Amino acid sequence: MSDVQTAPVEEVRTDLDESVSPDRPWLVIVWNDPINLMSFVTFVFQQLFGYSKEKATKLMMDVHVKGRAVVSSGTRDRAELDVYRLHEHGLWATMEQSG
Amino acid sequence: MAFASPIRRRRDGRYAVRLPAQVRTLLATLAEQMAPMINSDDPAVTRLFPPAYIGDDTADAEKQYRRLVDGALHNHHHQAVRILSETVTADTLTADQLSGWLSAIGSMRLVIGTRLDVSEDMDKPAPGDPSASEHAVFDLLGMLQATIVDVLAEDLPDEGEPARAL
Repeated sequence: MSDVQTAPVEEVRTDLDESVSPDRPWLVIVWNDPINLMSFVTFVFQQLFGYSKEKATKLMMDVHVKGRAVVSSGTRDRAELDVYRLHEHGLWATMEQSG
Repeated sequence: MAFASPIRRRRDGRYAVRLPAQVRTLLATLAEQMAPMINSDDPAVTRLFPPAYIGDDTADAEKQYRRLVDGALHNHHHQAVRILSETVTADTLTADQLSGWLSAIGSMRLVIGTRLDVSEDMDKPAPGDPSASEHAVFDLLGMLQATIVDVLAEDLPDEGEPARAL
């Protein structure tokens, strides 16, 4: 019986195209604008997300100082709902997939 | 004499509103002007309908978002302006009505501010500047909005409500 040498069958895996991966969370970003009051933005963050006054204030200051801040993340549907609720309150929010 | 706050929460959960007649008249006039603007293509009004997606290859996603929400978003603004119009002479408001005032005042302020192209540290307009009265209205709406926020924020727990975030 001859010894047949077989190379291990390597599974060649193609990485999933990153842009359609369902697992990367969606980020909701709020952008600074020159009109909205700081107290109002803080209030909206508390009201919509249930954040503590401290966290809401910090996020508001990030928006104000850095120009933008990520205020929430999750599924695409959830992000879209958050963006809509922020738009209802006159804030400018956008969404993008992380990574 | 103590300065009576223009908006105050009452023990029964409603809100007492004490505003000079001229302010109420101004709010009524602004609301009347605002209603037909919401559905117009006035560039200042587009600030109320900002994009949800920006960047490369987002045109389709943005189109879908607009199809999904524009109706509801237009209705939201119409309803807020309607609440303000209908209750502008009221001495007391429910929490929902006060929220409607906050929304309408905020939206009107956004539109005026957009039209005036305000920036964060801009100077007051020079006397005689044709935009001076619009700036004054913008400032007044800001004061009203700040007052309403202060009153409504009293009811928010400092520590937050984690359940809401779920």
